[in-house]
Amino acid sequence: MRSVNYARPTPALAIHDLRKSYGDLHALKGVTFGLNRGERLAFLGPNGAGKTTLIRCLAGLTSADHGEIFLAGQPFKSSEARQQIGFVPQEIALYADLTTRQNLEAFGRFHGLRRRVLRDRLAWALRWTGLEDRADDLVGAFSGGMQRRVNLACGVMHEPRILLLDEPTVGVDPQSRQRIFMMLDELSATGTSILLTTHHLDEAEERSDRIVILDQGMVVADGSLDELVEQSVGTQRLVRLRIDRPLSAPIRAGVAEHAASFGATGEEEISTRIDDVSDHLPGLIDLVRRRGYGIADVQVEAPSLHHVFLHLTGYELRD
Amino acid sequence: MILNVLQISCRRLLHNRVELLLTFLVPIAFFSIFAIIFGGGLGRGTTPRIKVVAVDEIQSAVSSQVMSALAEQESLRFVREMGADGLKRDEAMELVRSGSATMAIILREDREQLAAELMADASDQVAAQVVSAVVNRSIMLSEAEYQVSQLAGSEQDEDGNQLADDAASDPNNELFGIEESLQRKVQIIDVMGEGKANPVVSMYAAGIAVMFLLFGATGGGGALLEERENQTLDRLLSTQMSMDQLLLGKWFYMSSIGVLQVGVMFVWAQLVFDVDLIGHLDGFLMMTVVTALAASAFGLFLATLCKSRGQLNGLSVILILTMSALGGSMVPRYLMSEELQQYGLWTFNAWALDGYTKVFWRELPVDALAPQLGVLLMSGVVFLLAARVLAVRWETD
Repeated sequence: MRSVNYARPTPALAIHDLRKSYGDLHALKGVTFGLNRGERLAFLGPNGAGKTTLIRCLAGLTSADHGEIFLAGQPFKSSEARQQIGFVPQEIALYADLTTRQNLEAFGRFHGLRRRVLRDRLAWALRWTGLEDRADDLVGAFSGGMQRRVNLACGVMHEPRILLLDEPTVGVDPQSRQRIFMMLDELSATGTSILLTTHHLDEAEERSDRIVILDQGMVVADGSLDELVEQSVGTQRLVRLRIDRPLSAPIRAGVAEHAASFGATGEEEISTRIDDVSDHLPGLIDLVRRRGYGIADVQVEAPSLHHVFLHLTGYELRD
Repeated sequence: MILNVLQISCRRLLHNRVELLLTFLVPIAFFSIFAIIFGGGLGRGTTPRIKVVAVDEIQSAVSSQVMSALAEQESLRFVREMGADGLKRDEAMELVRSGSATMAIILREDREQLAAELMADASDQVAAQVVSAVVNRSIMLSEAEYQVSQLAGSEQDEDGNQLADDAASDPNNELFGIEESLQRKVQIIDVMGEGKANPVVSMYAAGIAVMFLLFGATGGGGALLEERENQTLDRLLSTQMSMDQLLLGKWFYMSSIGVLQVGVMFVWAQLVFDVDLIGHLDGFLMMTVVTALAASAFGLFLATLCKSRGQLNGLSVILILTMSALGGSMVPRYLMSEELQQYGLWTFNAWALDGYTKVFWRELPVDALAPQLGVLLMSGVVFLLAARVLAVRWETD
């Protein structure tokens, strides 16, 4: 992960105690977090957690019932926010019967760009998406990945300081996904703050500087992956040893209050959690061997965002 | 496999309640509308009455009797009280030309005998035949009654009926059923269609034009719903553009396309069917622009009223075809009962067709279009405002 300057006094975006209800449904129950300049923030949550509502509030598409949003320290005003925020919806929100160039030009104009600025941004967007040679082809004829790139480009024609992305890689192949994240990295490097919602936890883990998890309208975790792991599932590694024959009895080690037991009678796998792999794993292997079992395979699993997410939001289906 | 396809299709239909409703509702709705128009269901007892004026140039006893007989006819409606203000032939013709009356009945003398001229607006192709028959009958009966009373008075015959019977037996008698005689007694003069190459076609062109303006407008409104469904609307509203600008932009676009669409159709009508577009360009443009604006606003209103494109399609088909039927795009309104004609005034089609009729058929100056232009423009504004109010939910949900 890249280092981010958290010491910056005024975040690009600050959300404080945001609440929003639809009738009896409380979509947001006091959401508070910030987004620093140039930061890539993964905004996660199960279906119905309130992610889309929050994104719509930030994009100025709906207003919160309560709470405040600050952009670079200034209170959120819808008209100004539209210049500072870029919004890329989950759907391919393009005109399929227009060409790439015409789509980019249209959304550039909608964002208030004119003449030379529009021309320059159009040229940049075609380069950025790698679609210069397809500039005059109809978007409707493109593959899903290409459409996603144009979809993304239309949201940043006006060089927003903050980019809101609602699942930008749904339905695209790994190559296109890689390309899209390279494009986002490029934006981030120029100081654009990115707030990305996704259900691809590997993307969030690998491609973000910070993670915020929302559940039932509330922020349940906020921090880097390491911080979240430490706060939730802990840093212990899960070790799995596959042995050459079923255990005749659990393997015991230590004495008195330090005694530990590994495995269960009849099983061919022993699993346990250890704090330090380099210190504890050789001892564990040695113990198993001393009990007369051969080691067929060893697996060490570090705690991942997947574990953190399920730990924080539970295993129950949400829809 | 075939059974499976059938089963799935039925299940999908059952799950889509709006579509299911429309599948059965649309045919019933249209059957009912046409049954009402042609069967007199709704307008029973209010069969269409022909708007006429009558001028008695003779002022004789017989002509007065004819006028009285005409006044009692249920099929006629006198738009001016008979003989009240000394209506002259020219004024009566002007009333026909302006559309205030469908026909002017002029009672005059022809070779010392009572005759009638019917100044007709040939756009109503039924009225001339009906009024001709009614006037003929009234003249014949009045003359017969008059002659009978004269004969009875002079005691030339002890029984007037016998005289009448005798007269009927004479094949050359003018009183009863000789075609030649009738033609001389009642003469139909088309005061509207004279000099026009193909006058009625312009009215049908207008009827079709208005119907397709409405279809085009709801299609354009559908694009708005499509943008909402694929989140393009959200994206647009996250830019500098406001909902006001979006709706106005779409309104102007749909109206422009509508004007072009109708324009192209009338150019075709001029080239192929001799409709005089060039000669009526000012009135045509005024009517077409305002009708297109009103129809586009209606399309946007329907789009913002509906939740999905499927709903819009169903609703628009019902409304547009109903409006077209009631408003005279499919069947001339003069064929409908008075009551239905009144209902027709709640449709775009009726006002637009009245306007086009004034332009192409009556050839009235453009200031005569004020009521039609006013109503259409006002309804356009009202629908646009209603669409704006309905679209608020898209900005706040």
